[in-house]
Amino acid sequence: MAVYFDNAATSYPKPEAVYNAVEYFQRQVGVNPGRGTYQKSREADGIIFDTRSALASLFKISDCSRIVFTSNVTESINLALKGYLIKGSHVITTAMEHNAVWRPLKVLEQGGDITLSLLKCPSGMAFNPEELPELIKKNTALVVINHASNVTGTIMPIEKVGKICRAHNIPLLVDAAQTAGVYPVDVQVMHIDLLAFTGHKALLGPAGTGGLYICEGIDLMPLKEGGTGSESLLEMQPAHLPDRFEAGTLNAPGIAGLGAGVKYILEQGVEKIRQHEIDLTEYALLKLKQFPDIVIYGPQDAPSRTGVISFNFTNIAPEEVTYMFDEVYDIMARSGLHCAPQAHRAIETVELNGTVRISFGVFNTQAEIDFLISALEDLANA
Amino acid sequence: MEALTIYLRKINIYHTSPCFAEAGKIRVKARLSDDISEIMPYLNRVVKNANYNEHAPNLTMFKEFRMITLEPENLILIKALNDTDARQVLDWLKDLINETAERKTEIEPLYASKKRPHPLQLYTWLPRINCKQCGEKSCLAFAALLSVGQQSLDRCLPLFTDDYQEQKTVMIDLVDALGHDISNYIDGGV
Ligand SMILES: Cc1ncc(COP(=O)(O)O)c(C=O)c1O
Ligand code: SF4
Repeated sequence: MAVYFDNAATSYPKPEAVYNAVEYFQRQVGVNPGRGTYQKSREADGIIFDTRSALASLFKISDCSRIVFTSNVTESINLALKGYLIKGSHVITTAMEHNAVWRPLKVLEQGGDITLSLLKCPSGMAFNPEELPELIKKNTALVVINHASNVTGTIMPIEKVGKICRAHNIPLLVDAAQTAGVYPVDVQVMHIDLLAFTGHKALLGPAGTGGLYICEGIDLMPLKEGGTGSESLLEMQPAHLPDRFEAGTLNAPGIAGLGAGVKYILEQGVEKIRQHEIDLTEYALLKLKQFPDIVIYGPQDAPSRTGVISFNFTNIAPEEVTYMFDEVYDIMARSGLHCAPQAHRAIETVELNGTVRISFGVFNTQAEIDFLISALEDLANA
Repeated sequence: MEALTIYLRKINIYHTSPCFAEAGKIRVKARLSDDISEIMPYLNRVVKNANYNEHAPNLTMFKEFRMITLEPENLILIKALNDTDARQVLDWLKDLINETAERKTEIEPLYASKKRPHPLQLYTWLPRINCKQCGEKSCLAFAALLSVGQQSLDRCLPLFTDDYQEQKTVMIDLVDALGHDISNYIDGGV
């Protein structure tokens, strides 16, 4: 049996409704939203709107026009950072960020535009939010944090950070790539000012979809200017959201699919999906801990992490493990640095060429974990 | 929570065009899936700024600066910011109509048409000192813009001083009837 354990990279398979929504859009609608005055174009508009409002319900956003579509979380993060930060800003982030956050921040830092401070994540554990106030300076303009690490699954204390940020009047940007769709995200309770998410992971949508929630009162410079199908006579980009940040033809078939994915999550209930993830993770952790030669990185209990587990054999290189998985067992898992060298520095696995990473999704089962464990037993005894 | 009986199932946009009333905004025409004539007098009661014409029948109302004209099975929304904004307003309106229908037995229908305050009536209650602090040339100009929703009462700073307490109370009622959001003014003022 083929087993897919790379849901942290992208979710697979998707709910049937997602495939159907993309196909319906391509075959039956097929036209651009927001550009025309004919019936099909209005149907396209309606589909885009439905996705926007489904996302708003999921993240408890009261005004869905504050959600703008992008092509992935990488673009959302770039828009937030480059659209918000001005020269001379100080930014606080963590030592566990994905390159989607790390690289744009480093580019800004090396260009002399910003300075950076880091919250430490020793051994891949969550940082201590009480260290945050000590890092705040007079010119701290933004706090940027991944909601959960894509390497260790470590869930970061966003709500506590949000409270501290509010008290100091500093906006909080959250990279929710690993949590949106599988962990309850509430922008009000968590005090999130900018929420960046990607459509193709736990939100169960197609690749090429994503978005950014921009809290009222935060003004960003658009990353790109161009046609929006509205206010065409205006020489400047329109001021109103979402059009201000949606120049160019939208990925409408993708957004249609994303809408179906989010509706699936709303119907199932994100709490129920999260429980399924905890159950699988707990079971896998329990089984993995029985191997004397396996090291598991990050928190050792399921509730402190998402369904992502990084581990290594003390005596087999990670790429050899995934090679055997693929060749012999048809198990799809990833080895390496997972685009997050920072996180691998935190767990000291850069020299080991990273880790073996398995990551569960809504359609994985306990039987599949048993199959993985039997494969690991073969490897351990070889 | 899903309502038990849904009165109005859908509002379907069938035409979108640039707004004549205001450049950069849009005008949207939509069909209602169900005839709402019966609910109109109830909406007229619950929506402060609604104006009902029993003979047409139709009902006009405001959502902030946007204007909605409801007919039994059609509507026109003008001055929406963009497509997303229009759809948000129509979602809100659909919920409002359904909630009103659900609470019908508790509401006393209102068949009479309410009068929208005239710009001159607004003018009468302004300080009338033409101090220009609101950014307009005169109190009259301010009143005219106020009546079409393009000015906000709190921009008239003198009105919110102790000298004009009585005028302020009347003006708040008048702009309320115009559909302005007055929550800022009643919670202890600006
Ligand atoms: C934490 C985190 N941030 C950002 C990304 C980048 O996602 P995307 O490639 O969809 O932009 C990923 C996924 O690879 C991730 O796990
Ligand atoms: S601020 Fe008030 S009093 Fe002064 S000109 Fe404007 S409306 Fe008149």
